[in-house]
Amino acid sequence: MSTQLEYIVERISSLNLLHAKKLKNNIRKSDNEYFIRANQFLLKYDALLMAQSKTMDYAIDCYLQMLADVNYESIQFIHSGEYSNKWFVEVNKRVYNNPEVMEYYMHGLLLSQFLWRHHYHILLFFNRIIQENKNNIGSYLEVGGGHGLYISEALEIVGNKAKYDLVDISKSSIDIARKMIENDNVTFILSDIADYNYAEKYDFITMGEVLEHVEDPILLLKKLFTLLNNNGRLFITTPTNAPAIDHIYLFNNADEIREVILAAGFEIESEFCIYSEDIPAELAEKYKVSMMYAGVLRKSQVVKT
Amino acid sequence: MEKNEVLKRVNEVFIDILDNENIVLNNLTTANDIEEWDSLAHIQLVVAIEKNFKIRFTSKEIQSWDNIGEMADCIHGKLT
Repeated sequence: MSTQLEYIVERISSLNLLHAKKLKNNIRKSDNEYFIRANQFLLKYDALLMAQSKTMDYAIDCYLQMLADVNYESIQFIHSGEYSNKWFVEVNKRVYNNPEVMEYYMHGLLLSQFLWRHHYHILLFFNRIIQENKNNIGSYLEVGGGHGLYISEALEIVGNKAKYDLVDISKSSIDIARKMIENDNVTFILSDIADYNYAEKYDFITMGEVLEHVEDPILLLKKLFTLLNNNGRLFITTPTNAPAIDHIYLFNNADEIREVILAAGFEIESEFCIYSEDIPAELAEKYKVSMMYAGVLRKSQVVKT
Repeated sequence: MEKNEVLKRVNEVFIDILDNENIVLNNLTTANDIEEWDSLAHIQLVVAIEKNFKIRFTSKEIQSWDNIGEMADCIHGKLT
């Protein structure tokens, strides 16, 4: 295990024994590639923290606070069967326009990229998809790319021959992405994607974990449809049954996600699903464990414009 | 309700949710003592305890417990 990762797990063990049990179990089953990638990411993240006069202990506290929010929301979700927020205006006030919450939430999410098994496996799937499409990517758009991991992966595989744009509604998110990516070839745009317009179309669009944050996911996908080349690819991820302080649209299962995709005029080229807990599918369904869905979409032959 | 009665009912919930009849809780029991008690099971346990005692915990309360005794104290406090 890398020193930094080892330190994080030990620190979490001393602060949250229950969560540490899960982390240790996941890490025990990880391969060498995981440790190499986690180490690269954590070194970069540590530098970002130091530049902000912060420490890894601070980041771990943020992560555990985010986790406490998720656990509390999960308990309410089991009772009610619904997410606690349903409208954008609610989460905008509670999270996006609340700098204190955004601060711990962003740092918590950054650490989760390598501490949560489903986040890591989705990143590997994304890597494969970018490898398969790299020769067709001259322009790349990322929507809501806070941690900078996906666009960094694309930059490494596709290289600087492509043009890269990153659009995010949150300034905190843009600031972190800028520091994590550190590449002059990326243009950072602070905007709601609904208001974003670009004269040309993109060859590849990535939108990780955004659909669950909006009231109308079909409308959002239709917007991306207008930004995508006719032969382009859209890579999306979104979770089912994932209560969080800023999730408003509940997908109960993967079929509900597929329905939204098709309704927006896309067809599914390939997909990958993984539960957040390493347990059998029947148990995951019984306990309504969150499942992360990743899909590679292209414009449906019928509705191409 | 006496605290001993609270502990007894919490023990019954643990046996039911973790499906292990051998569980015997005391005030000092932690997740280190019960293999099946992990973060996923914890969510199910809290929900079952809330239903059993007809109470609701705050996020702060849930984070504050270091052992079963502290959880039982919290429940007891809500019932008195």
